[in-house]
Amino acid sequence: MNARLPHLLLSLSCCLAGPPLAQAETGFEIADASREAYSRIHPDLPKAKSDEVFRGRSLFRQSWVIPPAKDIEIAGLGPLYNQISCLSCHPKNGRGQPPESPQQAMRSMLIRLSLPGEDEHGGPLPHPVYGGQLNEQGIPGVPGEGRVSVDYREETIKLADGESVKLRKPVYAFVDPQYGKLPADILYSPRVGPSVFGLGLLEAIDEQTIRRLAEDGKRQGLQGHPNLVWDAERQRSIIGRFGLKANVASLKQQIAGAFIGDMGITSSLHRQENCGAAQTACKQAPSARQPELSDAQLDAVLLYLRLLQVPARRNSDESNVSQGEKLFTEIGCGTCHTPTLITGDFPELPILSKQTIHPYTDLLVHDMGEGLADGRPDFQAGGKEWRTPPLWGIGLVERINEHSYFLHDGRARNLAEAVLWHGGEALPSKQRFADLPAGKRQSLIRFLESL
Amino acid sequence: MKNLQLLIALILGLTAYPALAKEKLTVLTAFHEEVVSRFETAFEQQNPDIDLQILWRMPHDAQPYLSQPQQGGVDVYWSAAQQNFNVLKQQGAWQKLGIDRSGLADRLGAMPLSDPEGTFCVSEMAGYGFAVNPAYLQKHGLPLPKTWLDLADARYQGHLALPVPSKVGFAPMMIDSVLRQYGWEQGWAVLAGIAANARLVESGATFITDIIGSGERGIGPAIDFFTASAIANGAPLQFVYPEPTAYSPAHVAITAASQHTEAARRFVSFVLSDSGQKILFHPDIRKLPARPGVYKDKPDGYFDPFAASAEHPVVYDPNGAIQRLALNNALFDRLFSDHLQRLQNLWLGLRKQEQHADAAKAARLLKLRQLLTAPPIAAAKAQEPELQKLFARRANDTQAEAEAKSLEQAWAKDIEQRYAEAEKLLLELER
Repeated sequence: MNARLPHLLLSLSCCLAGPPLAQAETGFEIADASREAYSRIHPDLPKAKSDEVFRGRSLFRQSWVIPPAKDIEIAGLGPLYNQISCLSCHPKNGRGQPPESPQQAMRSMLIRLSLPGEDEHGGPLPHPVYGGQLNEQGIPGVPGEGRVSVDYREETIKLADGESVKLRKPVYAFVDPQYGKLPADILYSPRVGPSVFGLGLLEAIDEQTIRRLAEDGKRQGLQGHPNLVWDAERQRSIIGRFGLKANVASLKQQIAGAFIGDMGITSSLHRQENCGAAQTACKQAPSARQPELSDAQLDAVLLYLRLLQVPARRNSDESNVSQGEKLFTEIGCGTCHTPTLITGDFPELPILSKQTIHPYTDLLVHDMGEGLADGRPDFQAGGKEWRTPPLWGIGLVERINEHSYFLHDGRARNLAEAVLWHGGEALPSKQRFADLPAGKRQSLIRFLESL
Repeated sequence: MKNLQLLIALILGLTAYPALAKEKLTVLTAFHEEVVSRFETAFEQQNPDIDLQILWRMPHDAQPYLSQPQQGGVDVYWSAAQQNFNVLKQQGAWQKLGIDRSGLADRLGAMPLSDPEGTFCVSEMAGYGFAVNPAYLQKHGLPLPKTWLDLADARYQGHLALPVPSKVGFAPMMIDSVLRQYGWEQGWAVLAGIAANARLVESGATFITDIIGSGERGIGPAIDFFTASAIANGAPLQFVYPEPTAYSPAHVAITAASQHTEAARRFVSFVLSDSGQKILFHPDIRKLPARPGVYKDKPDGYFDPFAASAEHPVVYDPNGAIQRLALNNALFDRLFSDHLQRLQNLWLGLRKQEQHADAAKAARLLKLRQLLTAPPIAAAKAQEPELQKLFARRANDTQAEAEAKSLEQAWAKDIEQRYAEAEKLLLELER
């Protein structure tokens, strides 16, 4: 296989009729607006890497099996878990969605749990039985931990030009907790599975850049700050950049955390099954090999996610898109949703180094106000703080994931609602958006759709 | 203070909601997440009182799982693994489906679509054919192949990617369908010609669609839904259903041990319903519904096996073939995988000689072709149940593995002698 072949291999279906034209591709940006646009792997790989990246892709798509099993390399699901594959929560490498009714199960969403206080490293204090995440499913013989149902209450807000918009606020209820009642002071945080492309690039942004972004923000009156989190591999605190509260230090730890937390699959970073005290059946359930996810498998998934490309912008020369882009800057969105960054040195995978990227994030956590607050601190991210989510590729969510639910819990039913939920530090920008005439608001949305 | 208010509101929300009792239904499958998640969501919307749990297992691992006491807690088995349905039926693993089957077909040509005793029935199908890159064919001036025999033509030398049946899950039945369609001797000859033209693909991680879409090769025998889904998602590919087409059916059954029979029947009925079958049209799935009536609503360009079978009747019945798949796989590897480069060199030489053949060479060319295409065992031998069982058992039985290996060594010796003789003969012809 020649050096350019993987490029051809992996971008095979980028050319199609229908979707808007994308800008020419550069580096990690790929001119693809198809339903595979979140699944393209960087082309310039040696053969050995491309084999590994394909293995990583397979593992990411793999449905895992409960042990004991003949297919030992994909065994280890549970005893408690949320979903059986990575793809379940990140469909087509994109966004999950919340249930639409109280009866519906959380298929690509989960609930983090903790008690007030901190663990030994300053992170959330897990519940002694239920742990740090509600696992709705259990393998046969092991009761799942219970269910959370979601209902919505609508409220109407009026914009300056008289248009009214209905926003829906989720209301959560724990149903059938199987291991005892949850305490009244339990803290919980709903999370919809986010997109997983471009994560290697975010990892390659150096700490100085993130700190500089915080300083720049401060000069403009913002309070955004890096979340310092415990890095279990390096055994020290570093800037977190993954997870919806920037609460995970590295992509490897994010992946290993999802394997144990979401699927109950142990790895060298999480050697214990996720059974809490008093979860007897869980503790007695058979395990597969230990760890269930080998280091080679973990590395393959890591490589795959690091090398996923990012859809290039589309339609940027349309007049309303460029007007929207200007408005995005003028009303202050771009201060936190920083359009352009340059990655630092990344010796582990040099292809990620010195890339000019357009993530529309500063990787800082910001106070987003009461409306979005989960009340659950996570290291230095407070109960009202969330990491600025990257906006790249956001305009393709509807085409690829067949929904338009946004924000950490999917409450926003479209991009306009997502903007209107902004509060806290983003309140002035939200207000300016609400004060725009309808046409200009639409231009700003068109700009977001071009990302 | 506001934080406290928020917390109180959230806690009230948590405790205020009434519990919803749900019946748990466990479904064992080997379908991809794209398939399962869409059926899960749609079923749940229609059946909010049932909590669907999906367990996943490859077919070879599902059979022992379903043979354990209480059948591992599984209520419904839903998979493309015909052998499992047959073997487990013999063990009494299924109960009668007991569902309304109106609107469902019983046969597709030679292929029965349901168990005559009503314990399982087809839920969907996938067709075997050729993933094709039209731009590649145009660039290389190659015609679109229509049959398996076409693929063995010298024009396609270097242009194919062929999955190895012992390594790629969907391939054994596909290879067997060629052997059934052309007969044992001619079938292996067709496969030899195809192998002569192909890069062999072993890894399940590299999809045939990757290789064909990239332009590394132009044609790849494959199962349809990978390619059809890639096309539906924008890939510039085409899928050719050969004339006639062979199919891999998927089935659904309710376990005898199920404690949730009514819920299981609702699930099976949903899978087979109009709305369930139409889920198969989704661009990420693209499998072939088993309910003929839904094809009236098929997306543009979607293949309709029921319509196609009227023109080219289906001749392949996977039921009769399953027992010998492991034997086929071993033969394929000993014949082709072990000697691919050597085989391709010999075919190159043979085809060159055939281009300039004269009457004096005809007999020797025929002999050379026979040396390259004959399987090491005859059709009657391959049909012996004991031999088929030996190879089927080898993965789980060390004694069977030793015996199978010993036979393979004998074949390898025979093949080695034939290839050596072919090389000698070719040298003579080239002089």
